[in-house]
Amino acid sequence: MSDSIPKIQLSSVEKRFISARGDEQVALSQLDLEIGSGEIVCLVGPSGCGKTTIINLMAGFEKPSNGTVHIDGKQVSGPDPDHIMIFQDYGLYPWRTVLGNVLFGLQAKGISSGEALDKAMAALELVGLTSSKYKHPHELSGGMKQRVSIARALAVEPSVLFMDEPFAALDAFTRLHLQDELLRIWQEKQPTIVFVTHDLDEAITLGQKVVLMAPNPGRVQRILDVKLPYPRERTENNFASFRKELFMEFHLVHRQALDGVEYQI
Amino acid sequence: MNSKALKIVLPLLTGIVFVALWQFAAGRYTPEQLPAPVDVLKAIKELSDNGTLWGHIGISLARFSGAYLLAVTVAIPLGLFLGRFIRCHAAIDPLIQVLRPISPIAWFPLAVLWFGIGNAPAVFIIFLAAFYPVLLTTISAVRGVPEVYIKVAINFGAGSRMTFLRVIVPAAFPGIMVGLHIAVGTAWIHLVAGEMLGAQSGLGFMIVDARNFLRTDQILAGMLLIGVLGLAIYRGMKAFEHAIGRRWGVAS
Repeated sequence: MSDSIPKIQLSSVEKRFISARGDEQVALSQLDLEIGSGEIVCLVGPSGCGKTTIINLMAGFEKPSNGTVHIDGKQVSGPDPDHIMIFQDYGLYPWRTVLGNVLFGLQAKGISSGEALDKAMAALELVGLTSSKYKHPHELSGGMKQRVSIARALAVEPSVLFMDEPFAALDAFTRLHLQDELLRIWQEKQPTIVFVTHDLDEAITLGQKVVLMAPNPGRVQRILDVKLPYPRERTENNFASFRKELFMEFHLVHRQALDGVEYQI
Repeated sequence: MNSKALKIVLPLLTGIVFVALWQFAAGRYTPEQLPAPVDVLKAIKELSDNGTLWGHIGISLARFSGAYLLAVTVAIPLGLFLGRFIRCHAAIDPLIQVLRPISPIAWFPLAVLWFGIGNAPAVFIIFLAAFYPVLLTTISAVRGVPEVYIKVAINFGAGSRMTFLRVIVPAAFPGIMVGLHIAVGTAWIHLVAGEMLGAQSGLGFMIVDARNFLRTDQILAGMLLIGVLGLAIYRGMKAFEHAIGRRWGVAS
């Protein structure tokens, strides 16, 4: 697919912040990244490597200081209903029911109420929450809340899903379950998924590509192509060898990061 | 004894002890200085029988609810506006901070000069008493709306109108409710003060009038009724708040 244009393309992206003390910090430096259409890509790295900054740039919540971000060949100028972000803290509206939350995006699009209801119900069906449609978010577990926010995103049929550590606040069992659910949904709907995580196992379970990032300044250290068929058996030998490779690289990055800190002091 | 029975018995016990102490104290003073509890009940019956009591209660409640609603209808929209537009807030906030500590009672001389004697000064004072708590809680409720709610709305392409009416207003609502709640208390306290100073009717006036005739039993009757009505209004507000909270899915 090298002749077709990539779904998401970052070219020489740089992001600088002015810190509270007034000195300039480079969050991302000269970053190039291409993500193909329908791909599921995981961004991993230690804290401070700029993985959340990257996803915010792609989703249009922030603007790069230099360089460009293109999606479908068009420069990203702001958030877009075709590229939906899923947040770690769900962002559900507590005064709306589960169904009301899923309807929100459709109402924002101005879709007629009958059609919106059909689409919302189909999305709830996809995440297995039809029986909870009249509940309010405070009645749901963390895993169910995140499924609602996934349903809300899917209802508007976006071509890209950005997920910023979506399962990080969940217990281990729920997390594994939702990873499998996400893969099932991805295989059915084939959206492009950019998934930020600090969990290396999660990255190898989900990603066709795993982008390992390094801090000071934030940059891509290594891109790993995980050529394992889905569903991936987390206990299999091949899985373990990818895991080992990523862990070794990660330790290297981590040591560099720590050295960097010592050097600064 | 289970906790439900205790919840009734304990306050009842306090009530009995309080009335007994009052009765004991009343025995050591003249009725003009401190009438006994029975005398106060008799005074309430007398005022109720000759009809003056109901008139005073009615007019007090009307002034209270009118001024309170007026304050709420001005303070909530203004608070929503100032909470949303940070620059306007920065411009106006110092003025609010200077005006707010001035007791509504201090406005009384000016209120009489401007509005004369009658309903208006009392209404003005209650308005001020209710206005600031509602305004300030509304501003902080709007500013406290979680960033992620707004990000989600923008991401789904919601326009500024939809974001304001269907995200910011409902998200701020529980916080605004707190302000409405505080304002009920302060407004009721200042109602009586306002009526004592300038009005010719109402519970506050009734107390002043009783003082002029040295009817201490009627003074205490007025005070007791103010307390009981205040409690009733507070309870009503709580029930309303609870119903809204359930509707909003944030039942406390």
